[in-house]
Parts: sequence; structure tokens; C-alpha cells
Amino acid sequence: MIEFGVLLLPFLEASLRTATPLGFAALGELVTERAGVINLGLEGAIIAGCFGALAGAGLGGPYAGVLAGIAAGAAVAMVFAVFVLALRADQIIAGTAMTLLALGITGTLYRLVYGAGGAALDTPTLAPWALPGLSSLPGLGPVLFTQPLPTYVLYLLVPALLWWMHRTGAGLALRAIGEHRAAAEAAGVRSQRSRAAAIIFGGAMGGLSGATLVLAQVGTFNEGMSAGRGFIAIAIVVLGRWSVLGTALAALVFGAAFALQYLFQAMDWALPYQLFLAFPYVLTLVLLALLRGRAAAPLELGRQD
Amino acid sequence: MTIASALALAGIRHRFGHTLALDDAHLTVAPGTVHALLGENGAGKSTLMRIAFGMLAPDAGTLAVQGRPVQFRSSADAIAAGLGMVHQHFALVGPMRAVENVALGSRGRLDLTATAARMREVAARTGLSVDPDAVVATLSVAAQQRLEIVKALVRGARVLILDEPGAVLTPDERADLDRWLRQFCADGGTAVLITHKVREALAVADAISVLRRGRSVLEAPRADVDDDAVVAAMTGEALRASPAKAGGAAAIRGLVPTPSAEPVLALDAVTLRDARGVTRLRDVTLRVARGEVLGVIGVEGAGVRELLRVLAGRLAPTTGSVRRPLRVGFIPEDRLHDAIVPAFSLAENLALADAGHARGRLDWRGIRRATADVLTAHDVRNGTADRLAAELSGGNQQKFVVGRERRVGVDALVAENPTRGLDLRAAASVLAALRDAAARGADGPAVVFHSTDLDEVLAVATRVVACFNGSVREVPPPTDPEDRTAYARALVGTL
Repeated sequence: MIEFGVLLLPFLEASLRTATPLGFAALGELVTERAGVINLGLEGAIIAGCFGALAGAGLGGPYAGVLAGIAAGAAVAMVFAVFVLALRADQIIAGTAMTLLALGITGTLYRLVYGAGGAALDTPTLAPWALPGLSSLPGLGPVLFTQPLPTYVLYLLVPALLWWMHRTGAGLALRAIGEHRAAAEAAGVRSQRSRAAAIIFGGAMGGLSGATLVLAQVGTFNEGMSAGRGFIAIAIVVLGRWSVLGTALAALVFGAAFALQYLFQAMDWALPYQLFLAFPYVLTLVLLALLRGRAAAPLELGRQD
Repeated sequence: MTIASALALAGIRHRFGHTLALDDAHLTVAPGTVHALLGENGAGKSTLMRIAFGMLAPDAGTLAVQGRPVQFRSSADAIAAGLGMVHQHFALVGPMRAVENVALGSRGRLDLTATAARMREVAARTGLSVDPDAVVATLSVAAQQRLEIVKALVRGARVLILDEPGAVLTPDERADLDRWLRQFCADGGTAVLITHKVREALAVADAISVLRRGRSVLEAPRADVDDDAVVAAMTGEALRASPAKAGGAAAIRGLVPTPSAEPVLALDAVTLRDARGVTRLRDVTLRVARGEVLGVIGVEGAGVRELLRVLAGRLAPTTGSVRRPLRVGFIPEDRLHDAIVPAFSLAENLALADAGHARGRLDWRGIRRATADVLTAHDVRNGTADRLAAELSGGNQQKFVVGRERRVGVDALVAENPTRGLDLRAAASVLAALRDAAARGADGPAVVFHSTDLDEVLAVATRVVACFNGSVREVPPPTDPEDRTAYARALVGTL
């Protein structure tokens, strides 16, 4: 088992790295869903974030890339919010349309700006950054604290969201809107405003997810590189039972599922690699089937008025 | 200077699409009084109060609170002005704790400890106690209503609007509420009580206002009016307060000496648990024979809804056995949701009732003829077989549903609050149809009938059972027909 031991720390490191973009997208979607809105346009926000990060980083460096990614994701969500809240369009249709639209537009823009074959391979990226002290802790220290900046942001996002949802009036209002919108309005809550904010926050987190993917992991942009992460993030929210900690934990499980394929390939098993690639998606289906019922789902989720 | 009114609405007009819901409605509530706002269903009471609470903006008219003119953009403004509303369908978030519901709507950091302390302080002052940490969905209906009032009081409401507060309460709980309201007003508070029950209003109010078809038709001190005057104002003519009483339970009992021995509907040791695992019916054994009208009473959440649906075949019990005929007529409470398709014609809606058994082609000519028969027999106004169900008024829709479900060949009929939303005349005709079904004795169907109005149940039923906490018990008829104690006790499970 020496071989396995040697592989374990890299595996954990890879799990965490892969989980980071999933975590952002899922926590953003969690906030949107707790307001009773299901945003299938999340995938679109992620790919927009990817492209925004590429363009921003090319112009102003990696941090500008992060901000541009967030803005691009929020912009996609804003369009979704207009359709769903102002025009009262169906959430499922509007979300699917946003995903397809964003995938198409980013692909087209990419070819227009960077040419048919030309990838911007010189995109500045966010290198892992070892936190002094913490990264030299024995055991998991190097794994947890030698990460690119977005991972640290995610560490802070989890407690911040927990605090906001349970310790502020706005967080309570958000949860109430998701469970019983009429009651929240009767208590004086402006539900449209809260929902709009929740949708845009979800899109911004989707954009940050895409930016992380480009700037901290892949280092460049490919058409359709979001590769279903938006939909997996929606499944992660379900698996996390719509709670902040549950969602963070489920994101980590999926990160591990993605990382497992590297581990399997490294162990040189005589199995077709496609099996490993399919593993996270199969896991999604299996876990969703095992966790039946929607007892924990916000009651207003997806409901049109 | 004393303020003439705690709440005043004048010249209020409001239009929903093509319907003028309110036209020159007004209401002046003196400080320190209980003011009852009466009207039949659809008269515009709730619309008027939603305008008062900032949930709707009126097309025309003015609002004043404690003598000062106000304009509300949302409920938040109304709350800030010192209004509080207890909604008929409580505006509470079920999965959350009581204290969170009270804190809902506040800004900035939440201080639930302080909110809970204020709830206890309100409880000490008013006697309205609710456990701040209880999850709302687990509270009884009466406790949820208390919580709604506490919520308003914690936010400093001096004018309380209560929308049909009696509908969900047992008689004892209602008496408690009335006592509490009197006390609240004696201490300087003001209450507006929305109801369509004349007796309830006259029992507690200092002043009465009546709305009819969106217009104010009566505003008078309690002492100046009696039942007949109020009913006349509500209906626009002199009509007895309870036409249901005309027949009377005793008369029916005379018509049906012995129901046929063989029951049509039979439940044996039926237990039902819902999707969340809550027991809704426990160990229910029940028989209903032809020619019987079984009256079912019970407050919300007691199991009435589930019992009727098991009998009608819409819910399958978790354990126990059910015997029922293939076709059971079912008149559900929410007809637009459960009984008719508004966008279908009346003939199509009639055909729907048998859709589960129909095979092959539909005989539309026959269905149209049957529809026309139902429309004539049950006095459905403005109806033809080809009109859309949505084009009928609520009362005519209900008469159509009753007629359809009573059609030939139905061996059992289950009716749930069939007079809900109907004016007095339409209600009387629906009740007469049920009574008539039973009057045919062993040739008629077995009828199961639930109403939230005990008067209606006693007027029509030949036998009464009460649901409490999922159990079903028969209430023996009292020796004095006017004596309601046994029924009141059965509703709270102390029979």
C-alpha cells in the first residue's frame, strides 16, 4: 500500500482544487434556490465567467480576470432575472435558454476574438499561494493551505453565508420567501427585490466558478469547457439538502469523484479511461436516486406566480 | 383632541380586470372598538382589508390611520403605521420556528433572543403565549392564530385586522378570542373583524359595517341593528339568516326510519399517514348506508379532509380496509382546483367525471343532453353545455358540480364544504339537493357531508360524527335539539 499512500496527498489536493469551482457554483445556486428560484442558467453563468476571466486577464492580469468573470456571470443571471421576475417566464425554460445562449455566444466570441485555432495560451494565471505557517502544518497543512486564491475565498464564503442566512434579517427573509412567499410579503418583505438579489448573487458565484476554472486550473479557454458543472452544482445543492454545510460537503465529494479519475489513471488499471471520466456523472445519478423525496426543498422552489 | 377614527377608508374603488371588486366602499373604525365588517363571500371584504394593509393599491379613495392620511406602498408601510393583520390562511412560514416568524421582516442583524424576550413580554401582558422555539407547523391551529396576533403586537400594532378568525376555531377557542378582543379594545386597541357569519359578528362587535357587491350598504352601532337587518343588508332583501334550518334534522330523521342494513361505504381500522409520516387518521371504523346523510364535523387538521378523501377514493389508506362502490360522487372544497377544469366546456367537464371508466369513443350527443339535464335540474343560471366552466359564477359552478356528482348511478356522495363561497340562496339550494338525495331512503345514495358551519351539518345530517386528532367518534344526538355542548366537546376531543 506504499503506492497508495504516496498518491493520497496529491489526490486530496486534486479533490479540493476540483471542488472549488463546484463549491462556488453550488453555494450560489443554493442562495438562489432558498429564495424559491431554480436557475438552470447556472451552466451559462459559468461559461460566461470562463470567457470573462479570459478576456479580463488578457487585458488587466489575473485579478481583473476574476472580477470580469464575476461580472459576466452576474450579467447572465441578470438577464435570467428579468425574464423570470419581470416578464414572469417559466424558470425551467428561461434557465435552459440562458445556458444554451451563453454557450453559443462565448463560443462565437472566442472564435471571433481569438481566431479559429488560436487559443490565448499566454493567459496570466493564479498560482498556488502557500499561506505562511499554516501550509507547513503536519498532515493536511500543505493540502489545505497551498492553494490558489479562490480556494481561500471559498473557505471564507462558507461561514459568511451561514452567518448571513441565519443571523441577519435579510437572510431570514430570503429563507421565508423560499418557504412561503405570501407570508414573507405579509410581514413586509419585498420578495421581488430579494429574489433578484439572490439570482444575481448566484450568477456572480457561477462567474467566479468559471474564472477559477480558467485562471487557477486549466489556464486557458475551450468552447463548452464548463462541461456540465452547472448541472452538477444543481445536483450538489440537492445532495446537500439545501444547507450551506451540506452543500459544501457535497461539493467536496464531487471534487473527489473528479479527482479519482486521475488517481485511477495513475494506478494504471487496465480499464478504458472513459469509465473514469464518466464516474462523477454516474455518481450524480446514483446519489440522486438514493436520496429520495424533496422534504428538505424550499416549498416555493420553481413555483410560478 | 380625541381622534375620531383609528382607521378610515373612504371612496375606495378597485378593479380586478373587468370586475369592479370595490366601488365607493368606506369604513370608519372608532378607536377602542371592535368593528365587524360583514358581507357575503365575494362582497369585497378581503379586498378592502388588503387595501387597508397595503397589499393592494386602490384605484381611487383615501386612507387614514389615527386621523392622519396615509399612502401605503407595501405591508411594511402599514406595519410601520401601527396596523397588524391576522390572515385567514395564516401568513406563517411552517418549517420555521415561532420566533423566526416574529422576526421576519426586520433588517440588519437578527437578535432572536431579544425577539423571544419580547414575545414573552407580550404573553405576560396579554395572556397570548406561544413557545418561541416551537416549529410553526407543529403548532395547533389556535396556537398559530395566537402567533399571528403576537407577531402583530410585537411590532407595535394598535389596529388589528382579523380575516375570518372564527373559521378555524372550535366554539370554546372562539369564545376565548372574543374575550381577548374585548380586552384588547378596552386597553385602547382597535380591531376590525372580517366575517360572513352574522351571529359571530353580533356577538362581539361594537359597530357593524356591511359590504354588498363592493359597495358599503350599512354602517351602524351594534345596538341599532339586529340579525334580520344585517342579513337584509348583506343579501339585499329580507331572507332568513339560516335557510338551512327550514327542513331541520328532526324532519329528516322522520323520513328515514331505518337505513338499509347493507352499508354502501365501510371503513375498517383505517389508518392514514401522509408523505411526511404524520398520522392523519387513526384506526377509523365507519359505516354509511343508503338514505343516510352522515354529517362530519371537525376543525382544520383534525382529519376531516383525509377521511372524506379516503371515502371518495382519492386517498388510499396506509393500513386497514375500505369498501366503497365503483362510482362515488365527490364534491371537493376547492372546486376550481379539484372538481372542474375551468377552460373546458360544461359538457367536457361532465364527461370528465367518468373519464376513468370510459373506454373507446365518447358519445358527445348523449353527454350534451345529460349536461343540459343537470343544468335544468339544478337551476344553473347562464349555462349551456358548450359554455366554458370558467364563465359561470362560483355559485353556479358549484351547483353544476353538485348536479354532476349526483347523477344517476352514483351510490355514494361525499361533499366537503359544498356551500363555501356561495351566497345564501345558492347555499340553500345545494343543501336542499343533499337533503333530497337522502330523502329517497333506500333508493338514494349514501351521503357524507362536511361543513365548517355546524348549523348546516345539523340541518342536513341524519347522524353526526366528529373528527379529532385523526380519530372519528359518533356524537349521540342530544335530547334538546338546541343543545350544542356535545358537538362542541366532540370538536375538542373531550366528549
